[in-house]
Amino acid sequence: MKKIVVAVKLYGQRKTKKIRLTQGAKVVDLLKRLKYNPDVVAVRCNKKIVPEEERLVNGDLVEIIPIVTGG
Amino acid sequence: MLKCTFCGRKAVYNRRYAGTLLCDRCMTKSVERRFWRAVAEHKLIAPNEKIAVAVSGGKDSVAALHLIADYCKRKNCEVAAITIDEGIKGYRDRSLPVARENAEGLGVKHVVVSFKEAYGATLDEMVKVAKERKSRQHPCTYCGVMRRSLLNRAARELGADKMATAHNLDDEAQAIMLNYVRGDFSRLHRLGPIYSPREGFVPRIKPMREIPEKEIAIYALLKNMKVHLAVCPYARGIHTEIRDFLNDFDVRHPNTKFMIVRMFDRMRPYVARALPGFSPKKCKVCGEPTSGAMCKACELLKDLGFEKRKCASH
Repeated sequence: MKKIVVAVKLYGQRKTKKIRLTQGAKVVDLLKRLKYNPDVVAVRCNKKIVPEEERLVNGDLVEIIPIVTGG
Repeated sequence: MLKCTFCGRKAVYNRRYAGTLLCDRCMTKSVERRFWRAVAEHKLIAPNEKIAVAVSGGKDSVAALHLIADYCKRKNCEVAAITIDEGIKGYRDRSLPVARENAEGLGVKHVVVSFKEAYGATLDEMVKVAKERKSRQHPCTYCGVMRRSLLNRAARELGADKMATAHNLDDEAQAIMLNYVRGDFSRLHRLGPIYSPREGFVPRIKPMREIPEKEIAIYALLKNMKVHLAVCPYARGIHTEIRDFLNDFDVRHPNTKFMIVRMFDRMRPYVARALPGFSPKKCKVCGEPTSGAMCKACELLKDLGFEKRKCASH
């Protein structure tokens, strides 16, 4: 099965991590792999907010933004 | 490319509980409409009123400030922002400038009240003393009680007709469940879009109560609002357990949080009738309204051995 590689970073951090996924993988698949509940994060793909059903392509830069904040 | 259900543009958000996808424009309009509908349906803000907004600098309160400021401009109302500085190092000192920047950007009066000035100690100092005294109180107890007391006092001193907080759907659902599992019937009365006045209390409104937390976050990001995204270092315990439980449950059963709040709203009139009446008194230490001889803030400070001082003028 063909694979894609996306760069993932957490909001506020500069370091990115390369993650290999199956071709056709969606943002929600990436979140599942990284053990994030989709309800507690917003996601930017190549600097644009995307829904978790968006498909990723090779070379995408994904930023995960935790949104459950405060006390 | 995923397309918006309503206009066909590129989708940014999947509203799972409604089975719709929304683009940036439809998403922002939807959040604004929900805010306006809540204000109209529950009569939260009347023309010419002065509204104090509790602003921490986080995404919810910043979004609330922007929405309320815009509303007030159209309805000839006045708006002011109040920030409570609990003195939580590494957290509040980072969000305070964000709150200030947003208030200044909107041309809104900004009042900051600190725990240190009002109570003689920061929350960090109180937590340290509580630990030394082997107190079983959670830091959130001190923070919540004292923050609400200072917000009420600051709003009253500003001459505000109402005080708005940025509680969202997730907050409200969590609070309902928390009070339910604790069997705290009397606290349920405080939940709802508006907490009606008793003498000395500025009425509290929650215009974002029916908007999911994630939608407020996406709204703030789409509008490029400057927000402070961080978790309070003291946030742990039963409250966070309920939050995590509801978030996990909601993934498999979207709409749960809405149902919790809507069911509670149907029960609210009966809850109000079942509660005993309240005759407001003045706290013998600080003069703030209370049901007993001493307000809760003063009780907690007494347990810590701190002397309560009157809030410094601001």
